[in-house]
Amino acid sequence: MCGTCGCSDPANAVTLTDPDSGEQSLLRQGAIAGGAEGHHHHHHHEHGHHDHDHGHDHDVPHVHGPNGEVVTLEQAVLAKNDQIALRNRGWFEGRGVLALNLVSSPGAGKTTLLERTIRELAGRVEIAVIEGDQMTAKDAERIRAAGARAIQINTGAGCHLEADMVAEAVRKLDPAPGSILMIENVGNLVCPAMFDLGERMKVAVISTTEGEDKPLKYPHMFRAAEVVIINKLDLAPHVDFDQELCRANIREVNPDARLFALSARSGEGLEDWLDFLAGEGRAASLREGA
Amino acid sequence: MHELGLTRNVVSIVAEHAGGRKVRRVRLAIGPLACVERRALSFCFDLVAEGTVLAGASLEFLEAEGDTFLIKDYELEEAA
Repeated sequence: MCGTCGCSDPANAVTLTDPDSGEQSLLRQGAIAGGAEGHHHHHHHEHGHHDHDHGHDHDVPHVHGPNGEVVTLEQAVLAKNDQIALRNRGWFEGRGVLALNLVSSPGAGKTTLLERTIRELAGRVEIAVIEGDQMTAKDAERIRAAGARAIQINTGAGCHLEADMVAEAVRKLDPAPGSILMIENVGNLVCPAMFDLGERMKVAVISTTEGEDKPLKYPHMFRAAEVVIINKLDLAPHVDFDQELCRANIREVNPDARLFALSARSGEGLEDWLDFLAGEGRAASLREGA
Repeated sequence: MHELGLTRNVVSIVAEHAGGRKVRRVRLAIGPLACVERRALSFCFDLVAEGTVLAGASLEFLEAEGDTFLIKDYELEEAA
């Protein structure tokens, strides 16, 4: 798995911080995809879990001689991430933990929504949070202040979370059976769409101040999400936000997405989201061991 | 945006598989929903391949379905 993104410095480190103990550990040091990471390369017909047709082109010469040999690899470039994600998913299902991958642009209100959700569901559902940001443990501290356990992952220059970072954070966090694990991805509407973390579903947050056209401009992210939350409804009148147009744009790229419109600050529209979440959490805990 | 990281993956996977033998060509299968920019991959490939057994190799693309993003195959240099 690549350690870092195109924008990154190869000397970049990924760290994990527990705000309770202040303990910090290093996940990756200057990680460049290296041969020493043990990719499983000998599965010549590794198909991953994608449901597409590989169409083995047998008109392509497979010359298996010592010279000019063509070696069929059929290896998914993200196979290692996908394998770890699959393992995470199995762990969550076996334990009855509902894992959600929260994605949005920076400043859409993911952390504020989490704080509010944690406070509102206190006593009803246990929530644990993995916070992904390039720098600082501020978000994990905010989550802890709201009353939930949190682990901060700092990706340095990296623009998204990857499955192995989540696996490590889950080992530390050890979410209880029947709880909800919120994975707050790095604020970015592009890269996180591509990396499966093992979540039950992606939840995309779009805020009224960003404009109605974001789903059309960043369709991959909104297509990958099962739930889309329109946040900052309290600010809608001040920024001439057209909610119907925004909904239509979301529908255009993802007709099946479940939509919520709310304000994490004022609490408007929050009930539907909380009910949905509590219901999904219950369903996940009932599937435990199934 | 993350094509440099992905290209590093491609190069490291193929280099390890080739086991020290020189590689002449790598073919990737990319679907329309893979979120991968081919020009960016090509741009990064030469840089990343430098100093590896893939140095000077060509990178080619095959059409695929959905979100496919596979290293289809690679061709080894003829032994001198």
